[in-house]
Amino acid sequence: MTIKEFHEALKNKKTSVKGTIVSYLDKIKKENKNLNAYLEVFAEESMARAEDIDKRIEEGEEPLELLGVPIAMKDNILIRGHIASAASKILGNYVASYDAFVIEKLKKAGVIFLGRTNMDEFAMGSSTENSAYGPARNPFDSERVPGGSSGGSAAAVGGGLAMAALGSDTGGSIRQPAAFCGVVGLKPTYGAVSRSGLIAMASSLDQIGPIAQSVEDAETIFNIISGKDGLDSTSTELGDHGAKPQKRPGRQADKIGVPKEYFSEGLDLRIKKSIDDIIGKLSKDHEIIEISLPHTKYALDCYYIIVPAEVSSNMARYDGIRYGARQNAPDLLDVYKKSRGEGIGLEVRRRILLGTYVLSHGYYDAYYSRAQKVRALIKKDFDEVFKKPARDATPASNASRSDTGWHSVVGGVDVIVAPTTPSLPFKIGEKSDPLSMYLSDIYTIPANLAGIPALSLPIGKIDNLPVGMQLIAPHFGERRLFGLGREIEKMIK
Amino acid sequence: MISKEDIEHLKDLARVEFVEKETEKLAGDLGAILAHIDSLKDADVSGVAEAVRAIDLKNIFRKDESAARNVEADQYQTTIALISAFPEKHDAGHGTYLKVKSIL
Repeated sequence: MTIKEFHEALKNKKTSVKGTIVSYLDKIKKENKNLNAYLEVFAEESMARAEDIDKRIEEGEEPLELLGVPIAMKDNILIRGHIASAASKILGNYVASYDAFVIEKLKKAGVIFLGRTNMDEFAMGSSTENSAYGPARNPFDSERVPGGSSGGSAAAVGGGLAMAALGSDTGGSIRQPAAFCGVVGLKPTYGAVSRSGLIAMASSLDQIGPIAQSVEDAETIFNIISGKDGLDSTSTELGDHGAKPQKRPGRQADKIGVPKEYFSEGLDLRIKKSIDDIIGKLSKDHEIIEISLPHTKYALDCYYIIVPAEVSSNMARYDGIRYGARQNAPDLLDVYKKSRGEGIGLEVRRRILLGTYVLSHGYYDAYYSRAQKVRALIKKDFDEVFKKPARDATPASNASRSDTGWHSVVGGVDVIVAPTTPSLPFKIGEKSDPLSMYLSDIYTIPANLAGIPALSLPIGKIDNLPVGMQLIAPHFGERRLFGLGREIEKMIK
Repeated sequence: MISKEDIEHLKDLARVEFVEKETEKLAGDLGAILAHIDSLKDADVSGVAEAVRAIDLKNIFRKDESAARNVEADQYQTTIALISAFPEKHDAGHGTYLKVKSIL
């Protein structure tokens, strides 16, 4: 049942919140042992909240659109009074002393938190195998990964163990697992959702976003959790861009850009065909143009300098002094080293070391500074494609060639369509070296570097494994993603 | 390529330990990642400014007062939560003394 269906049923007194929560808790009890999507289930609390809400509805309260909706929470988002471990041993006993901004908003909307979900430790990974509490599994094939790092949240929604969930996305951590688990995932514009109360990984890239069963549900949650927050100075009001759904006058054609760099070598040909089919259908009502984002080839390397650099700084606070397990040693340096060595997993420590290296004296210019400049170029690629051409400009005057290929052949693109992942869900243990794991985020990373919103939605299955398609819009263009997303959803049904 | 000595030095700088088996694999993994990252040298970044953030930001000022999230919540409970998260405490002060290693 989607949020929308549940809300309608609740309004018409066709269902009760308690009955719904009981059915979810039963399913979790049966299936979570295998999926390992939840690290902890808030069974008693959920039941008490459900009973309270049912009573209020009985007394005549008109249900808000998220009232009583059972939502799963990624383990790096703080809920006051609950453990938030980021799937790390070092935070295994850390109890949040405040609510994240998004939690505060969802509480006000009357949401029920079913539990906290498994993830790659501190959100570093693409398969949820890097969890200190064992890997989560894909609801469509338990031999395979659910993706990551928000793998637990996506597996919970995809497997019917939650109506919706929140995740966080630094390089694809919402969209890639959403694609692998056959659900919708949104990475909002950087700044659209406050990061206050999100355990930081790479602060210039992190965003919280919804994982849901439909585009409409994702939009409903996004509308609640977005907005300016005084405790995150990078958060902004959506203002005129407005995330509120607006009825478009009739059907309006979009200019849809297909970036050739996202369809080249490395993409599973079966995924390519699925996406080409959708593009073919879209061409009936929309203008489809091939575009080029020439710096895409640098995105992965750029990302794997910037992320470890920010990680090495953000992870410095986990030193065994203020929380988690402290290891004793004769001198302070060894207390730090041992506590972190014992409490933090290998991938996270590897990134801490790499980040320390790229930021160290003598290497800064060659790595970090250069990566930030390349980041500017990647951002510019998108800016040019999305730029509205001047009214009198003809396509010819707007085109230019450079030695790197086509630049802004045609501007004015409304939405870019692309695959979400280069491959179908892979097997647990299949990607044992870090580089091959990193490559699974190759199509999702650029949107984070540019700070623009991107949505993954399911477009079918190959060998019973879900395929995701990615829609990318300019800054604060979430509404366009939802609009086109809903259209594609209808095509598939 | 990162040498073994470099890795030992980085461990100290980063305040992080790796067991012997992890260290052996580490040099190879970091080497492979750095070799891959080297592709950035091909990018023409002449005259390009660093993009530190994805969106343009301006400095924001606010009043110098507490902006804690749960203002209505019991501040004492928050203090207790923070103290109980601390790995080592001393019995004195009703268990509210926090224990850390001496620096000097």
